[in-house]
Amino acid sequence: MFKNYLLLSLKVLKRKPFYTFISLFGISFTLMILMLVTSMGNAMLGSNKPMTDMHRMVFMPTVERFTPFYDTLTVVDSIVMTSGEMRYDTTYETNERGRMVTNGPGSFHFLDNNLRDLEDVESYSFINSNNHADTYLDGRKVSMSTYYVDADYFRVFDFNFLYGLPFGQAAIDEASKVIVMTDKAAKNYFGEASAAVIDREVEIGREKFRVVGIVARPLVENEATGGDVLLPYTTIDNKELASTTLGGGFLAVFKAVSPEKRTSVIDQLAFYADNFSMPPDQDFEKLGLDASTYLELFADRMVPGDSQNTDPSVWTVFGPIAVLLVLFLVLPLINLINLNISRVFERKSEIAVRKAFGADSKNILYQFVLENLVITFIGGLIGLILAFLIIQYVNANDLLGITRLAFSFKVFLYFLIVILLFGLVSGILPAYRMSRTNIGEALR
Amino acid sequence: MIELKNISKSYRTDTIETLALQHMTMSVPSGEFLSIMGPSGCGKSTLLNIMGLIDEPTEGTMTLAGKEIAGYNGAQMARFRNEQLGFIFQSFHLINDLSVVDNVELPLLYRKVGGKERRRLALEALARVGLSNRAKHFPNQLSGGQKQRVAIARAIVGRPNIILADEPTGNLDSQMGDEIMEILLKLNSEIGTTIVMVTHDERMAKKTHRLVRLSDGERVS
Ligand SMILES: Nc1ncnc2c1ncn2[C@@H]1O[C@H](COP(=O)(O)OP(=O)(O)OP(=O)(O)O)[C@@H](O)[C@H]1O
Ligand SMILES: [Mg+2]
Repeated sequence: MFKNYLLLSLKVLKRKPFYTFISLFGISFTLMILMLVTSMGNAMLGSNKPMTDMHRMVFMPTVERFTPFYDTLTVVDSIVMTSGEMRYDTTYETNERGRMVTNGPGSFHFLDNNLRDLEDVESYSFINSNNHADTYLDGRKVSMSTYYVDADYFRVFDFNFLYGLPFGQAAIDEASKVIVMTDKAAKNYFGEASAAVIDREVEIGREKFRVVGIVARPLVENEATGGDVLLPYTTIDNKELASTTLGGGFLAVFKAVSPEKRTSVIDQLAFYADNFSMPPDQDFEKLGLDASTYLELFADRMVPGDSQNTDPSVWTVFGPIAVLLVLFLVLPLINLINLNISRVFERKSEIAVRKAFGADSKNILYQFVLENLVITFIGGLIGLILAFLIIQYVNANDLLGITRLAFSFKVFLYFLIVILLFGLVSGILPAYRMSRTNIGEALR
Repeated sequence: MIELKNISKSYRTDTIETLALQHMTMSVPSGEFLSIMGPSGCGKSTLLNIMGLIDEPTEGTMTLAGKEIAGYNGAQMARFRNEQLGFIFQSFHLINDLSVVDNVELPLLYRKVGGKERRRLALEALARVGLSNRAKHFPNQLSGGQKQRVAIARAIVGRPNIILADEPTGNLDSQMGDEIMEILLKLNSEIGTTIVMVTHDERMAKKTHRLVRLSDGERVS
């Protein structure tokens, strides 16, 4: 029976090339865009390497120092007369009126001395991501962002090593001149990203570093993963490590033992800051360690400007996006249902004839739902191919800057589910309506 | 084969109620070729639709092929139509998106018949109406008479006991009409299929076993 319906669907679609073309065009275009949106969302917020454990990560990009200043409000509560003398009974209220703030990455010294013993942390890394290195190669300037990291950096972030290996504690201890590059940086520098690049040398700041590993460039680069090259932090300019000020060039990323323990880590940092006794030589009175989850960090970045004090909640950023996405899904769906209704309606007499010759409502329902599924799948496949080509093109030309679109098996799976849903929802309603067709009236 | 007892049918629209059939009682024995005549709007099609389980009467009882129909649900009626009835319409009602042979196969799709067997039976039915050489054509490549012959093939492919034909020659010229009539007569005499045919053509009616005349939803002879 299924085979009959299937053959029938194909016959009908073949006989109506214009209609089929219009439907396919609509479906494949819609699904292509959906696909692009999904792969963009997946790239930006999916658990892809090196952020596989993003749901356990706590980011502390800055260390805040501030001095609050207060208003003192005097509130007269009562005036009491005692033995001919007036007495005021007064209370005071103090409101924080504002703060003087300085905010920036912490110093290695501060992080190193204060934040190594947090509980519920599986691994953590201090990262200096502030530097750039320009090197000249055959008269060509190659600019690379240099990240100075520790050995545990590669435990927090599971980079996809295409060739070679990360450097370990020994390299840190000995301040070895070794380097890990992204495939893109390798291509830029050496003209190729292959095993042959391993053990070759890269010149950074007049020193030569030996390539030990090539990693795949992350789909989305963030403060912690956007380095073109990764170097042992012990090879950084000595001033960075020696400075005993609070501020410096390092950010900290903690990986909690579980997603639930993230709040514990964030709370510990806030608690530590509250109870921190500021060294007397500092210009500020208090310390703030405002750590956030990756999603919060992402939301912060999406709302530019006023990043102090008013943290936008994750929902003020993702809420509208979610609504847009739902509209994105629902509008084409309604459109498709509409198209299907008119298409099926046109075939009212066919349905009546089928019923006259013995089809029951269920047969009609199955036939039209399946027909719709077939066309959505064909349309979906075309959309898939189009999306794939666009993703290739966008990624190859870096059209989205730091973001590259991800085309993963997971996205493909979501996509199949979306197609199925589309096909079913947009098919069932019209098919159900038509399966109730009154034969006599339709064949008049 | 067909027993109608006191069948009435009224159509109710918002304001008016049309009585299409009034207390119709009639019986068609097995193997009979019956024709029905009457002025336009007198209820001929309504009567045929009720016999074909396409419309339900508002009143009365009906027995078809020995089965009391009252109380059948939608699926049971569909099954009965599939196994016992074959329809021929004035305007053919072929499915334009399907080839001739696919059109003829249609009733068998709703039975447990394998693809090969379906094809064989459909070609056999086409041979019976003399259209073997048009199996791969599409309906819009055929003349009116040929279309009606395809429709007949579709009606007989499932070997129903009853064929209901609503003005099968109404859209055809007299020569083509005669051809169609020949086929129906042969079907009736050779296989013994019971046929009820609505017609406006006295000449056609004369060739059948019996004629029933309707007027204003009532039987007048
Ligand atoms: N669905 C309907 N709703 C309302 N009235 C209807 C409906 N179908 C038929 N009628 C009415 O019932 C009466 C009988 O109609 P029917 O189609 O049976 O006539 P007929 O004898 O077949 O006419 P013709 O020779 O023109 O085909 C007519 O008055 C018609 O207007
Ligand atoms: Mg009629």
